[in-house]
Amino acid sequence: MKILYQDLINHLLDKPTKELLSEKLFQLGHEHEIHGDVFDMEFIPNRGDCLALVGLTRDLSAFFGSAKPIHIFQGEIDPLEIEFENLSPNDCPMISFLEIEIEELPSEYKPYLENYFNTIGGNKTNLFTDISNYISYELGQPTHCFDRTTIKNKLIFENKDCNNNFKTLLNSEVTLTNNNCVFCSDGEIISLAGVMGGASTACSTSTKKVLIECAYFNPESIIGKSVKYNLISDASHKFERGVDISSQEIVLRRFAKIVKDHAKIKSLKLKSYLYNDVIKQSIKIPIDHNKINKILGTSLNIDEYIGFLKDLNFDISNVIKVPSYRHDIETNNDLAEEIARVIGYDNIKSEPINLKKTANKDETVIAKLESFLVKNGFSEVINFPFTTENQKESINIDNPLDINRNNLRVSLKHSLIENLLYNERRQKDSIKLFEISDIYTKDKVIKQQKKLGIIVSGRLRNNYIEFSKKLDDKYLNKLLNYVCGEDIFEIIEIPRNALDTKKKDKIFYTEINFENIPTSLFLESGRNKKAIKFISYKPISEYPSSTRDFSFLIEDKYKLNEVINKLDNSSDEIIKSSFLFDYYKNDKTNTIKLGYRFIFQSHHKTLSDKEINDKIDSILSPLLEIDGVSIPGM
Amino acid sequence: MSNLDNLKPPNIINEPGTLHPVNQTKDYLLTILADMGFKEIHGPEIETEKFNFDMLNIKKSHPARQMHDTFYVEERKGVLRTHTSPVQIRSMLESKPPIAFTSAGKVYRKDDDATHLPMFHQVEGIYIDENVTFANLKYIIHQILNELFGSNVQIRFRPSYFPFTEPSAEVDILAESGKWLEILGCGVVNPIVLENCKIDSNKYSGLAFGLGVERIAMLKYGMNDIREFYKSNLDFLAQFK
Repeated sequence: MKILYQDLINHLLDKPTKELLSEKLFQLGHEHEIHGDVFDMEFIPNRGDCLALVGLTRDLSAFFGSAKPIHIFQGEIDPLEIEFENLSPNDCPMISFLEIEIEELPSEYKPYLENYFNTIGGNKTNLFTDISNYISYELGQPTHCFDRTTIKNKLIFENKDCNNNFKTLLNSEVTLTNNNCVFCSDGEIISLAGVMGGASTACSTSTKKVLIECAYFNPESIIGKSVKYNLISDASHKFERGVDISSQEIVLRRFAKIVKDHAKIKSLKLKSYLYNDVIKQSIKIPIDHNKINKILGTSLNIDEYIGFLKDLNFDISNVIKVPSYRHDIETNNDLAEEIARVIGYDNIKSEPINLKKTANKDETVIAKLESFLVKNGFSEVINFPFTTENQKESINIDNPLDINRNNLRVSLKHSLIENLLYNERRQKDSIKLFEISDIYTKDKVIKQQKKLGIIVSGRLRNNYIEFSKKLDDKYLNKLLNYVCGEDIFEIIEIPRNALDTKKKDKIFYTEINFENIPTSLFLESGRNKKAIKFISYKPISEYPSSTRDFSFLIEDKYKLNEVINKLDNSSDEIIKSSFLFDYYKNDKTNTIKLGYRFIFQSHHKTLSDKEINDKIDSILSPLLEIDGVSIPGM
Repeated sequence: MSNLDNLKPPNIINEPGTLHPVNQTKDYLLTILADMGFKEIHGPEIETEKFNFDMLNIKKSHPARQMHDTFYVEERKGVLRTHTSPVQIRSMLESKPPIAFTSAGKVYRKDDDATHLPMFHQVEGIYIDENVTFANLKYIIHQILNELFGSNVQIRFRPSYFPFTEPSAEVDILAESGKWLEILGCGVVNPIVLENCKIDSNKYSGLAFGLGVERIAMLKYGMNDIREFYKSNLDFLAQFK
């Protein structure tokens, strides 16, 4: 929520700078950004009490003292005669109504109100709604204003099983379903309690007589409604986090005061309903500073302890009475956090502790297997488990992100095929991938199995021995089953015809339950996991790459190493990779033939032929100057 | 005899593959914690509401339990765990203090946008013994962050809220840019959670912390798009040798 710096300052005794205020807000746990004079606050969910000017300054007064009392209407208020029935006090244990009629609408707002709408208050709507919004900002208590003339009969609050259309005061239409807390009159729902009022009873710019409802709704009764109906409101945000159950009359008196600041009041009437038997009693915690020291590791004395709590407006006599607006405090651990916030987490000294060691550092079969696969050129992928594919044993997601992700995968196969095709589309011609993941299926109960999936296709490797050989079932068989001494891995070919691809290389796949892998199998020792290299990552280029192959004839064998070294070292920003893919000795002619491949790609653009040719020239010219080195046909 | 017979052929290059950077980072974090004395424990990704929420003091009304934040499966018989904390709950029920556990793995939230994924990885740790304090928590967190970001890293603790810890904190480090970056969440284990796990909260207390693996990996590798991790692009993966 947005709060003005000037408003905060006005409510504090000391007048801290923005920087100091910001520092103390962070110390208290209130994240924020500062834009000019506006503090854009983000409060943690259990601090609903801070969602207002007075709430936040209450917290800050521990450092800066509190300055400005809120002016309320002090006089006698006549009792309101209203036909009202609360059918569900559990959902609404406290509710007050204020009826105000004014003589004339004001032509302009007082500076404090005008300034609010000129800065952070948004658009004005009408006098009473504007005051309601301002009070919510100031005191944190939402109020709802009904145009009094629109409610002719009995007003009922109830938690009702609904199947009704409801038009909000913002003129959006929603269909209320299942149970909702609502206000009804004449059988019509006129307000979705704690979320938004209805159009039929809303105030207009000509409204002069209003009924202001001010309640405490149990957060559990309100929560989820605004999301369900997509009615995001300041009121629901506050009620969901809990408002102050003892503030309703004061809030309405503040309302009356602001109205009085703006217009001559013709009549003013108030009525409150308090359902004592369902109201949560205020929390009391015994005074015990040793408990706090034991939680925090501090050595506070009793005076410091009481001092901190008094700074936070706790009422202390023979016990500590938690203020009614602090729904987040029930135990000594809660109090410990309060005290720690005022001390400052960063000011609490850290205290060494030696864990009684329980760690076991056995090399797991996973670590060994990973090392084995990586050494053989496989790369590990991780996939999301969501799929549209629905098998008998699939786990169904009740609330999927979308219809295409409404089941959990029962195998790693489809994910790995997708990964393979994705890389083929990016001109990869030698692909070896694996994934290790838990897979969940259902039979009568939910079953968990750790699986390894391996997929291969394309060239065996990018070196001159294996470049022209293809990855196939024999390769996988030799790699995996040969070591086992038996056919533990079942290797299948995945037919291309069902896939969206024009490539011809065969695809082979194997998947295995971890429990079926003999633990003695992969004798690689696991890597040193701590010796991770945090390389400086470079974003992937999405521009196309170009491949160029060159065939060198070397007539002087002593130049071989020089040529290869020069080629291997020709790194450049636009050379993505390069490698020797062919090596042939012709004993008859005493010559050597080399095949060398360059793959060009830019991070910034699609490379033109000219750019690539210029780069090639600069690589090849020095090579061709070497005696006995040539590129036949060039 | 040809004069090429004793020519040494060029080296055969066998480029290794790579382990996924998220798993590398996860294993690295686990190793740091194992060296400190934490034992790794495992648990299921499909959890019950009891272990994912109730036992951790996450009340029925807590926003995290809403359908829009948590994936429910099989007509609400289970949830995709939203954190790895239920693994710790399961292990605590079977152990007596002192205990020092870490749990790591995939967790799920019903999010999918530029900065949030429906699946990500966490590493969590918990230590329970007699007289464990917030000051001890600070010590442990400093140790972890010094290991991760060097002994000169500037660390800030901010009060925060988690139902399973009280007091709770979020911890920031000062980046080179001069901005504070949130790194992890932690706190003193809420005595309610200890009691839920049949541990006497008058005798024992604990500390707990959790890190987002992708977040740490992104910081350490200098990445700014979390989605890159899960495209399975070999050009991407090949960088993390």
